[in-house]
Formats: sequence, structure tokens, C-alpha cells
Amino acid sequence: MNILVINAGSSSLKYQLYDMKTETAMATGRVERIGMDSSILTHEVAHQPEVREVSEILDHTTAIKKVLDMLTHRKFGVLRNISDIQAVGHRVVHGGESFSESVLVDHSVKLEIRRLFDLAPLHNPAHMMGITAVEDNLPSVPQAVVFDTAFHQTMPPISYLYAIPTVLYRKHKIRRYGFHGTSHDYVSQRAAEFLGKPLDQLKLITCHIGNGASCTAILHGKSYDTSMGMTPLEGLMMGTRSGDLDPAVVPYTINKEDLTLNEVSSMLNKHSGLIAVSGVSSDMREIVEAMNEGNEKAKLAFDMYAYRIRKYIGAYVAAMDGADAIIFTAGVGENSDVLRKAVCERLTFFGVRLDEERNAIRSSEPRRITTDDSEISVLVVPTNEELLIARDTFRLVKNKAGGR
Amino acid sequence: MFRVVGVVGAGTMGQSIAEMLSVKGLDVHLVEKTPEKLQQAREMLELSLDRQLERWAITAAEKKLTLSRIHMEASLHDLAKCDLVIETISEELDSKKEVIRQLDDILASDAIVASNTSTLSLTELAGVSKYPGRVIGMHFVYPAFRIDVVEIIRGLQTSDETFGKTKSFIDHVLSKKGVMVYESPGYVTTRLICLLINEALHLLEEGVASPEDIDDAMSMGYSFEHGPLEMADRFGLDSVLAALERMFREYGELKYRPSFLLKKKVRAGQLGIKTGIGFFKYDKDGERLS
Repeated sequence: MNILVINAGSSSLKYQLYDMKTETAMATGRVERIGMDSSILTHEVAHQPEVREVSEILDHTTAIKKVLDMLTHRKFGVLRNISDIQAVGHRVVHGGESFSESVLVDHSVKLEIRRLFDLAPLHNPAHMMGITAVEDNLPSVPQAVVFDTAFHQTMPPISYLYAIPTVLYRKHKIRRYGFHGTSHDYVSQRAAEFLGKPLDQLKLITCHIGNGASCTAILHGKSYDTSMGMTPLEGLMMGTRSGDLDPAVVPYTINKEDLTLNEVSSMLNKHSGLIAVSGVSSDMREIVEAMNEGNEKAKLAFDMYAYRIRKYIGAYVAAMDGADAIIFTAGVGENSDVLRKAVCERLTFFGVRLDEERNAIRSSEPRRITTDDSEISVLVVPTNEELLIARDTFRLVKNKAGGR
Repeated sequence: MFRVVGVVGAGTMGQSIAEMLSVKGLDVHLVEKTPEKLQQAREMLELSLDRQLERWAITAAEKKLTLSRIHMEASLHDLAKCDLVIETISEELDSKKEVIRQLDDILASDAIVASNTSTLSLTELAGVSKYPGRVIGMHFVYPAFRIDVVEIIRGLQTSDETFGKTKSFIDHVLSKKGVMVYESPGYVTTRLICLLINEALHLLEEGVASPEDIDDAMSMGYSFEHGPLEMADRFGLDSVLAALERMFREYGELKYRPSFLLKKKVRAGQLGIKTGIGFFKYDKDGERLS
């Protein structure tokens, strides 16, 4: 079965086509600048040069059409006919409390995603456009939606409630949802395989450290607590996001600087984190580079960033009364040995013994970076959210077909 | 739906509308008569975006993107590809008529021509066009990117199709509230706010309170962002005077007669923010000094 995985943004769309027999990506690509007369489609097939096409793509429906044309292109394509796509899986950021697992798209699912626009005004409407666009182009192909929040729906109330008037939770569903669920889910499964132990007997702390960053305490295979909250702003310090701060800072700043709500929200989401403290960049590689050249502000930003990850790890060891392994994943987590070292070096109290040689090795496979006698294992596990979306879609479509 | 929008007139309002449209992701063609004025408009747009950058409202990348979507044009003929043209030149009947007449031969037949007039008769403006059905009023409130209400004015001959397209553009693309008003000098916003400003000027003339106290009383008492005198400074005292004079002429009622103080200020060239002094003083970024 071939499954097309789609991650639709408001003016962009990423795709991967999976062959589920081998679980390999046959083609990947993206459409950028949707809505403009010079949209760019970039298409990549393994071992072949990248193809770029500039054309007018005014809406998501046209974007999907272009993607399908490219996938069946005589020269660059990988399929003979679009009917070779048997299912489509979509990434959806917010599933609210309605979705604790991936589902097949039907009328009521679409209504529910629409109802959740309020909670994710930047993301869910764009995902919806992606779903509609696929319907327009592939009317009879089943579609599944995989939610970033679903994995965290297992959190108990002590983790997900905020200590504010509960009427706000009842009326507006203000609570912790958590994000990057697909990634935390995927790497915890891979970690259990690597450790050779059943997932439901493990206490894991997964650190998804990319442009956005979150830590999750995974108790016996289920999300027990996670650092992101109602929105992806809470928790760790990130590239351009502040992470945790005293909520009183917000009205105080609004008052002192005469800011509007939009301005303060943009300040916290786009002008904070690494870029704000370092003044250099929001990119960890550039921070490390500047730090090595003696830039003190970059060093401060780096140290704060690492310190906050360490604090969350400490908190989650306490939350689960222990931990078997700590897992690093995503762009920074997988690639920055300097950051992993800074975090792990000072977790000796928990029995973490970093192996510097292992830590320095680059690889796309799951690996251990602690010594064999370390009480808690620290692993690096490359994430693959698209594959998990493809797997969920495959499972749902197969089950439905089998149930008939 | 409209994607390429022309804005005729790159004054304060034209800049503000162009910036707002570009932020919403539309391609904007901004027309002004002389290269100097175009250059000045470009600088002002950059200044406005820089100020937002300083206030963390946008990022450097967003600033670049917004500017890249605004194209400076020297002639109305550069608007041939626009689906919608918003005319926002100075509030003079004859010049506005001339622009609308010229657009007849330039735009495609299904394009819409909107005027940002606040006091002139839309029916009269539309009357000079060969296609009066496609002419409509779209009255933005300054600053257009922050104020989320637009008055949509139907002239006598404005077609239902033109109205429908305009309304859905304002509601869905601009995400603003479109308020439908029938033709009447000053509509809702200008008529009410100019009366408030004029009455504040009477208070000042009568020595009832100082400018600071008048503004504080109204801004704090009734949650206005700025008091009536600072509002006048921000609109431009010449614009306020012109609007009052037109309404005075049209309605013939004394309450619209502009205060003498307003006339005096305009004659002295103290027009508000744009000259650095009106009822209060301002720096070059438009921040109030005193």
C-alpha cells in the first residue's frame, strides 16, 4: 500500500509518499508560497537530483494537484497513476480533548477539527484546507488524521490542570495539552526496542529538542506529563520562544511598554528564547559557533537552554519516582553533542554517566551515549513523525477494510 | 477573490492601507504622482515596519516579506492587472472623479473600484464612470492595520455583486468587520468623531479645561485610546477641518460649523503629527512629546 503523508501549513505544504511494504519514503517534497504567483514546488526522490518547479499555485487544492502531477510525472514521478495512492495521512496540531488517537476522516471528524480552530488558530485551519484539498483531488481515497496532542491525552488531571479557576477549564477547555506527541510516541517505542524491554515496564523521559522543544515523562508507555501547555509556548526555552515565565510578566510588560495583545504574543513566540538572550541567532549551531568564538551572550543563552532541560529532566524523574532512560531527539537533540553533554554532565546525582566518545558519534540509528555502568541510560533516537503518521493511517485503513 | 490590489494615493492613509493589505498576504500596487512622493511613501512604510519590529510585533523576515509585496508604481496604467483598486487620494471631488474616469479604460471589466472617501458623495463619484455598478465606498479608519472596522458605502448605482464581493473580501480576507452604510456625508465614523472633536475644541476655546485634561477626561473616562484633541492631531487638523466644512455645507446645521480655533491652527500650519505640532507636540516617529 502507498500512503501519502501531508503536513499542511497556511502557505506551505510538505509531503512524503510511503511504500508501506518496506516502510520507505519513495518521494518527499514541499510546496512553498501557496497563494502567490511564484509558488515553489520542491520534489525529491532518493538518489536523484532535486526537482524545483516555480508556478502559480493559488490554493491548497491546486497545490495537491501539483503534488499528484509530480508524483505521477513521466520523468520525475514514482507512480504510474494517482490511483496507486491508497490512503492519505495528515498531521493535525490540535486535537483538543476530542481526539486521543488517530482517526479516519469523516463528516463528524471534520466538524470537530473545525470546532478546535479556536485552540490552534494558526494551524488547524491550514490542516483543514489540506484535508479538503485532498478530497477535491482524490475523492474516494480514505484519509486519516494524526494529532500532535493525542499521545498526551493519557495525562492525569494533576498534570494537565492549571491551578486557576476551574470554570475556565469547563468553559474554554483551558488546560495543558502538550505537543510533539507523535514524536514522543515514536521515539519511546524505538527506545524500548533498543533497550530490549517492554515499553509498559519503562519510565522514560523524552526530550524533543528542535526549533520548538518539549520534554515528556512517559510512564509505562503513556504520557504522564509534558512541558508544553495549552499552546507550544510553555516549558523549555526554545529558538524564539520564551518557555516558562511568571504569568505576571505579561500584564506588567503590556503596561510598561504599551503593547497590544498581538505584540506581546509575538514578542514571546518570535522574539524570545535563544535569539533574545544571545542576540546572535535562534539556531543552536550558530549559538555554539559564537560561544566557541568567545561570545558571552551566546554562552549565557546556551547555558540557560541546557539548564532548563536539566530542570525538566529532574522534575520528571521526581514525577515518575525514577527513570530508566532519557532520550534525545529532533534537530538539536539528534545533532548537538555539545548540548547533550552540557545537559548530561550534571545529572550525575541520578547516576547518569556520559560516555564522551559515544556522545560524539554521528549516526541516523538509535544509540546509547552513556557508559555501560550508567544507572540511567541516555539514548539518541532519530525521530520520524511522518513514518508514524503513515503507520497509523495504514493501520486505520487496513482495519476498516478488514472490518467490512 | 481579489489577490492583486491597487492603492491610488500614497499619503498617510494610502500607506496604511497598503501595509495592511500586504500583511494579509496580498500583492499591492501603490500609485503616486511623483517619484519623490513614492520614495517618501516607501521610507514611511519602512519606518512604520521598523517601529513594529522594535515593538516585537513582527520579525525581520516578516518586514522584508511585507515590503516585497508592495510595488511602487508611477502611473495608473500599472494597475491593469488589479482585481480591486482602492482610491485614497486627498478629499477633493474633481481629482477623485478624474482618477475614477481614468480607471475605466485601464481595469478589466470585472474589477472593482473602491473609494476611501469619508464625506464626498459616492453616487456623484460613480457617476463619472462608464461602469457605475462597480464603484463602491470602502472607508477605512486610520491606522488601517490596527482598526478592524470598515464602512462599506453603497452608492445609488452600486451593484449587488460589487457589494457582495467587497463585503466578503473585508470579512474573510482582511478579517475586519464590514459595516454597511448608505450614502450620507460622514457616514457613521467621521460624522460622530468630528462632532466630538469640534465640541472638544469649543471646550478649549471657552477655557473650560486644558488640552491635557480634556484628553485625559475622555480617554480615561470612556476608554478612548486617545482623547479627541490627540485624535485630531493624528488624523491631521486639515482633514478634520475639511470634513467638518463639507458636513456643514451638506447638512447646513450649526453643530458642524468648524471651531475658529481649528481654522486658526490650520492657517498657522500646525496640522498635528505630520507637522510635529498640533494641540500637542510629536517627535518624527509620531510619539507624543508633551
